[in-house]
Amino acid sequence: MHTAVIHAALIHAALIHAALIRTAQTDPVQAPGVYEGVANVIAAVMLLLEFGMLRQALVRDQIRLYMGQSALLSVLAVVIAADRNLPDLYALAALSAALKVVAVPLVMRRLLGRTESQEGEDAPGVAGSQTLSPASSVLAGIVLAAVGFFCFGALKIHGPAAPALALSLAGAMVLVSFGLMIVRRDVASQAIGFFSLENAISLAALVVASGLPLILETAFLFDLLVAVVVFGMLIRAHHVRAESLSTADLTRLRG
Amino acid sequence: MTAALPIPLIQLLQVLTVALGAPFVMGVIAKVEARLQGRRGPRIRQPYYDLAKLVRKEALAPEGASWFFLAAPLIAVTAYLTIPLLIPVLTTYGLPLGYMGDILGGGFLLSLASFVVATAALETGSPYAQMGSSRAKTFSAITEPVVLFVVFTVALLTGTDLPYALAATVRSSAGQIIRPAHLLAAAALFMVILHETGRIPVETHTGTNEFGMIEEARSFEHSGPYFALLRWGSELKQLILYTILADVFLVPWGLASTQKLDAVVLAIVALLAKACAVGCVVAVIDNSFAKLRLFKITEFVSAAFLLAVLGVFTLYLGGG
Repeated sequence: MHTAVIHAALIHAALIHAALIRTAQTDPVQAPGVYEGVANVIAAVMLLLEFGMLRQALVRDQIRLYMGQSALLSVLAVVIAADRNLPDLYALAALSAALKVVAVPLVMRRLLGRTESQEGEDAPGVAGSQTLSPASSVLAGIVLAAVGFFCFGALKIHGPAAPALALSLAGAMVLVSFGLMIVRRDVASQAIGFFSLENAISLAALVVASGLPLILETAFLFDLLVAVVVFGMLIRAHHVRAESLSTADLTRLRG
Repeated sequence: MTAALPIPLIQLLQVLTVALGAPFVMGVIAKVEARLQGRRGPRIRQPYYDLAKLVRKEALAPEGASWFFLAAPLIAVTAYLTIPLLIPVLTTYGLPLGYMGDILGGGFLLSLASFVVATAALETGSPYAQMGSSRAKTFSAITEPVVLFVVFTVALLTGTDLPYALAATVRSSAGQIIRPAHLLAAAALFMVILHETGRIPVETHTGTNEFGMIEEARSFEHSGPYFALLRWGSELKQLILYTILADVFLVPWGLASTQKLDAVVLAIVALLAKACAVGCVVAVIDNSFAKLRLFKITEFVSAAFLLAVLGVFTLYLGGG
């Protein structure tokens, strides 16, 4: 606690002095209200789980974090449904929970189970697939999140249901999950990154267009199923051909 | 109807509560930790007996160490005893000396204390003490940005960076508690506190393995009353940081809003109870996580940094 504190103190000296004179009786920044607060906190925790996936080394733990993130998305849908009186969202929350908390992780685990070695270790090519150290990848993720966050904030979209901040957090999540797919070299983590990208889009959709007809929302969920099938094929085909899940083996395919 | 206490006496009580309560909180944590491990554990009063024993012992200084080696523990404890004047320990209203400095002022005093202890460790020429102070300074340099971003969050939330103002803001409505910026900043501060008080996952608090030591290694060469001051100092630092977390960020309730004797006594009891509650959480963390390897501490700090930065981000769009 040295030089940085000194600099900041000098910068803030004027502010502090003014505050001292006013004897701290300034008005606090207006709080956004309990409903907005809850929605924003859920969105923020989803973003934190995205960061957790970014720095987590084991695919099994990434799947667990993905399950948590999807569960939070359903909780957010229930919160919005209860507060804004949109009964459709209860059905959507149940459907999305069944699919993303139960089905997708189950399929992923079974796919990975088949590629695991006999000792029960992670599938070959998954361990050490990070191209950046965890601390650096978190710092890079913070930069990405800042870009996404402020770009979406500049759009000034005010959805009817959830607060604008949740939309910006969704924007940050989109970029961080892209980052996750870039910094990892194994197909399984990239699949998880893609699925959580879908979570981020669902979050943005909940915020901007929660009044969307149920049939359309359900159709989006089936898109996810297609993605799962495609990634499942990719994981299996790649494992059969290369006996590894690392995409580093694919670099020599370049022309 | 009870008597109203004079303001200077309440101010003195703030310092005395922290000064005398700090070993108690340390004892409670040690007891809870032992119970969680299935041991009976030391008495809760054990830290007081330890201090009393050390005070009666002979003080020695290594050959070649200057006067600063012996002055450092005194300076450190003085700095720690000044901080309770600046933060809401017992009262919701600011006491006259409470506006001498803001959160950064408290941060200055904490860093002054840690700086003089590190310098005294360098005086000794002992490799372990020097290694400890070198590590402590390295890691405090990387936790510094986290602290700054927490302070920025407070400044954006309240328009000032006085601890009293944030506590008042948090008390004002439920919306202020549930907002992401507040929760993220509090979580980041908690991680910094784990780091600063030398707890798992950064450092084993009661460990005897020199290679894993950071803060603990710095006082190796001190003895007798001076060592007692350093021990007491680290207990004071712990209670001060817990007080900031509880009374400013998490649960600023139970503080005295009047000068009545019963309100102040209740505030003293409430403060110690809150500090012990934070201590219990710390003890559970101590027992459920492994110590990080030294070079993994950056990952821990980067996670805290992430929380603090996100807190500031969410405030910038308003409504965070």
